[in-house]
Amino acid sequence: MVALVAPSVVLLLLLNGFPLVYAAVQSLRDGNLLQAGPYVGLDNFARAFQDPVFWRAARFTLLFTAVGVFGSWAIGLGIALLLRGSVPGARVFKVLLLLPWVVPVVVSSTSWNWLVATSSSPVPVLASALGFENVLFLADPTMAAITVCVFKVWISFPFMMLMSSAALTGVDSTVYEAARVDGASSIQQFTRITLPLIAPSTYISWILMTIFCVNDFPTIYLLTGGGPVGETTSLVVLAYRVVFQDFQTGYGVAIAFLMTAVLVVASVWLYRSIRRATV
Amino acid sequence: MNPRTDHRPGLRRRDVFGLAAAASVPVLSACSSSSSEAGSTEDLTFWDMPWGGTQYTRTAEDLVNSYPAPSGLAGAQYQGLQWANYYQTFSSAIASDTGPAVSSGGGFQAFQFAQQGAIHYADDLIGTLRENGTYDDFLPGTMDAMQTGSGYAAVPWQIDIRVLTVRRSLLEEAGTEVPTDWASFLEAGRALQRIGVAGYGTATGAGANIGSQGVVSFMINNGGGFFNEQGEPDCVTDRNIESLEFFNQMAAEGIINPRAVAYTTGNLDDDWQNRRVGMGITVPSLASGLGESGDDLQVISPLASPNGDKGTLYYINNLMMYQNTPSEEASEAFLRWYLDNMSTYWTEGVIESIPVRQSIVDTPEYQSDANKVRAANEWQPVGKTLAARGEEVFAELNAVDGGQDLITFAQRAIQGQTDPRANLEAMQAAIESVV
Repeated sequence: MVALVAPSVVLLLLLNGFPLVYAAVQSLRDGNLLQAGPYVGLDNFARAFQDPVFWRAARFTLLFTAVGVFGSWAIGLGIALLLRGSVPGARVFKVLLLLPWVVPVVVSSTSWNWLVATSSSPVPVLASALGFENVLFLADPTMAAITVCVFKVWISFPFMMLMSSAALTGVDSTVYEAARVDGASSIQQFTRITLPLIAPSTYISWILMTIFCVNDFPTIYLLTGGGPVGETTSLVVLAYRVVFQDFQTGYGVAIAFLMTAVLVVASVWLYRSIRRATV
Repeated sequence: MNPRTDHRPGLRRRDVFGLAAAASVPVLSACSSSSSEAGSTEDLTFWDMPWGGTQYTRTAEDLVNSYPAPSGLAGAQYQGLQWANYYQTFSSAIASDTGPAVSSGGGFQAFQFAQQGAIHYADDLIGTLRENGTYDDFLPGTMDAMQTGSGYAAVPWQIDIRVLTVRRSLLEEAGTEVPTDWASFLEAGRALQRIGVAGYGTATGAGANIGSQGVVSFMINNGGGFFNEQGEPDCVTDRNIESLEFFNQMAAEGIINPRAVAYTTGNLDDDWQNRRVGMGITVPSLASGLGESGDDLQVISPLASPNGDKGTLYYINNLMMYQNTPSEEASEAFLRWYLDNMSTYWTEGVIESIPVRQSIVDTPEYQSDANKVRAANEWQPVGKTLAARGEEVFAELNAVDGGQDLITFAQRAIQGQTDPRANLEAMQAAIESVV
């Protein structure tokens, strides 16, 4: 039996393990795309901790992830709850609402750029008509961060809606009937029944969305390029730039490893929460 | 050219991984032997990027396929690459000995690969060009820019230059003249701003490099640059501070659109097309790139800076030979032939940049475009590379040119809210970390 599965195991180890080990080696060297460079130990990791650009990217990654996960979850769950009832055309709505998730981000980022970038774009024109003159959606650092986060929520909520819909169908309707008989309000039903019963699914969706957000390169890069003045640069965008634009492979890979470490810790914590919720 | 250049029809970057993977198959077979013996008849591979629109690649392929290899020497195969991730494609191929024998490349590519020991220096080829008189046909300074301490890393073939373009009808509408110096440029910008038009159109958003190139062009125009004459980083100079103060003033007076900091190339093109921009640093072929005919979009003469200097940023794009070739003699023979026959790109109008050979500039086809003629006659002679004020180009410029620090530097400049000295000090530190 062992002999039968061994080739597959070896192949999987090679496919997954070799790039990881090679990347780990690169993170300990000061090389470029062509040459591995000299061994520098943990200098690249130490450099990251002392680099204000790294910390700024880390802060934005945290913000982007928090807004991306909880914003899309709140909207996705809300819509799933709305469509759970006997809403006419609920299935059609669900399909249409999936579009932001389905459409390639290259297309949607271009559309958002068209919506907000120039003074003649529809959203600035609308803002101006409402009395908000000269709102710089992508050029102002704060507004750019908000715009990127809103864009992320917009493309992510359909996924959360799907996850929530699936979880809600597993909740027995008789539980609600019993609660109503006991005089529970809608809010009490939501907080005391719905949320606890869908918690395992919620935690899984949070884990997945956290990974999606932290590793999300195109959403940010295509909309703002990480700007203005680096204000919307996340860790994955920073790692890309350091490796492929500054040609500092070791440092870039070290940033990516630090990012991965944080992701693993967050995932383990959330996974334990799932286990606690299901006990 | 700077391969990340904007305003170039047909240069939109796409994912190149698939193409690179496909390309690696014939390349593997073509370059599996790294023999350098003369007389090998194994075809050498020429890698080339789309330096123009879709017609460029067809013309280039036809040209290379028509190469009549001298008796006993290898022929040539054309391999097109997209710009997207082109450097990574080259790097990985060269590292695995599956790269090309000869290639075109961005302004600093040859110097990087020379530093890695992957380049076959062009000294012998250039010696031949000197002997047969071809050398004298190259525009002044272009050949010198290829020289390194170890020899000529490449040979030049075209120049990607930044020029000042104005929309004449808007200047007339604003009641102002074509600027000739920084003071009149500011006056024209104010007049344009009064009629609701950006006096200086630029873009430093996602994927847009014209903004940083514009800032550097003004610095060079003022006799500045990021390096001193010895090639050492030297950003915090009076000339550079003066240049950034000029940008601060333009931003403060609304001559620069505050949205430009986040503009993509598409946004800027849209503004040019819709008459929302009156002046800007562009490529010479802006008009044709936007599909315009006529002379409303006009390349003007270089401005005189407050110190009387003139200048701009350019990239001398080059053709390079690699160590990994079926035959060094064949590589040189092919490149010699290619340099003598590349005029077809300009006579057929499939490329927009400036040729490096005077004989091509003099062709009726090239002379028919007034903007290109002005770029060649007035801007090229005052052009400088990113190495300015130094003369010698070096490998690390690639990281400076494409790096995020330059974009951030330019974004701060066009926002006009950062003290010039502080901005330049940050750039100095950034350059020192990569050079």
